[in-house]
Amino acid sequence: MSTTTPTEPALEATQQSKASSWLRNLVSNQQFILLIVLALLITFFAERNSLFFRTQEFGNLISDFCGLALLAVAETYVISSGGIDLSVGSTVAFSGICGAYTVQYFMEHHMNQTGVLLLGTLACALTGGFVGSVNAFLITKVKLVPFVATLVTLSSGAGLALVFAKGGQEVGLDPGAVTFSAEGLGMFAWISIIVIVITLVLGLVLHNTRYGRYNFAIGSNDFAARAAGINVKRHVASVYVLSGVLAGLTGMFFYIKGGGGAATTGIGEELNAIAAVVIGGASLQGGVGRMSGTVLGAMILTVVVDGLIFINVAPTWNQVVVAAFIALAATLQTIRPQSRS
Amino acid sequence: MTTEKNPVFELRNISKSYGSVQALSDVSFKAYAGEVIGLVGDNGAGKSSLIKTISGVHNADSGQLFVDGIERHWKSPHDSMEAGIETLYQDSGLAPDLTIGSNIFLGREKKRKGILGKLGFVDQKAMEQEALAELQKVGITVPASKRTVTQLSGGQRQAVAIGRAVLWAKHVIILDEPTNHLGARQSQEVLKVIEAAKEQGLCVLFISHTLPHVLQVTDRIIVLRLGRIVRDSPTSEYTVESLLGTITGLAEAQK
Repeated sequence: MSTTTPTEPALEATQQSKASSWLRNLVSNQQFILLIVLALLITFFAERNSLFFRTQEFGNLISDFCGLALLAVAETYVISSGGIDLSVGSTVAFSGICGAYTVQYFMEHHMNQTGVLLLGTLACALTGGFVGSVNAFLITKVKLVPFVATLVTLSSGAGLALVFAKGGQEVGLDPGAVTFSAEGLGMFAWISIIVIVITLVLGLVLHNTRYGRYNFAIGSNDFAARAAGINVKRHVASVYVLSGVLAGLTGMFFYIKGGGGAATTGIGEELNAIAAVVIGGASLQGGVGRMSGTVLGAMILTVVVDGLIFINVAPTWNQVVVAAFIALAATLQTIRPQSRS
Repeated sequence: MTTEKNPVFELRNISKSYGSVQALSDVSFKAYAGEVIGLVGDNGAGKSSLIKTISGVHNADSGQLFVDGIERHWKSPHDSMEAGIETLYQDSGLAPDLTIGSNIFLGREKKRKGILGKLGFVDQKAMEQEALAELQKVGITVPASKRTVTQLSGGQRQAVAIGRAVLWAKHVIILDEPTNHLGARQSQEVLKVIEAAKEQGLCVLFISHTLPHVLQVTDRIIVLRLGRIVRDSPTSEYTVESLLGTITGLAEAQK
């Protein structure tokens, strides 16, 4: 009898350590923490101002989230591949202007509303894809570091947007677009549904396909990726083109919402996109990142920015609060017991 | 007796220069299946240049390269992999943020069946399971392959990297300083994997500065100095002292 007793406490101890390691895993799981933060934020804002919990406001939240979502998705791909894309914000402005002129041109030629918007979307995607190709060229051929290469396109994109828009004017006005932006399923506008579908698909691609696997491998150790026979240059180029196209589509998203193209739309938004990715748990060194984290990060940013208005905090405080969240998320990453080296 | 067989791999008069620096001059040797060849030399002797030429990181200026009797020209490292040559580079063979399974199958991902596979979806579960089983076959035990490489010890990382090379190589594996930074026990585990590779009929090119390891595990040692092969003899003909003398050139100077 006495010989068997020692095993029981031992068993208990392993069970205990199993439970505690499960708990530790949960706490070190960034997504879980983000979910709790998001729930706390919503509760906080709704408690301070009950208007925050209306369906109408949720509609606004979804719409604001979607304005950021594709940029954050783009940044997730770029950052987990070991790069950074500073140009997405000004690409939103530039492509939005190009989309606006396209819409205007075809409206003047009496095309129907759907056709006009589709061609505008195509123009935006192509413009974004063009900016992305310039980034890809500068990075893979000229061999500039991504930070510098995309800084070049950030400046030139913002500048071109101003030139094309002839200064601060709104161009290519289309009241029909605004009407369309309000249509949808319940509180989900059609344009938001499209954004959400793209986000889901690209999330699946990042975490389940070979393309996504290569993305992380290159971000983790590009030499190993090359040694494994992966065409690193081609992949990196494709990631920046993808990022540009997503920024272009965001340009069209804002065009439809606003019914016109303005040179200021999206300017500076790259920082919010990067913030969403960092809050979501990605490493700026590449190799680590989760789309679900990015989506939660973008949701948190949207809720904070919208919620502050509801509790009568001046919008000028936005950036300070966003900064606090970035600092918090980055600190959390350093605590995570992930690396042994 | 091995010379009766056809070499699995052969270099003929390989030369390579970087600007005015002659990195390799007229390097020729044959290698056979199931043979472990030590490649030693001082820093700048041309070991790295030679490995890079064999694995297709760059091309030689002149000379010929044969794999299994067929002359080959590499356009990229991928070409040499396709031809059955696996290279393990110093300290940089793995993507640390990926799981063990993903690393083993990096560049050769298993696709899901059906339409998802056509769309590029990978079969993560099958890769993790197969990776674990295959590693065990060459005597490497690692914790659950769902772990990322960052969660492994230095020795385990190296074992996974070598295991990966052994699994995929058809003819030759090139190991560049595989026992670097490893403790004595971990180094012995790595050497055991080399022996497993030899038993599988692979030709192993073992590059190392740790001469006792080279003497322990190789059948033959090639000594490079200033881009030339200065000695190519069976391992039994060397001692640590004579090997060191040949590497530095002191042995000849004394004659």
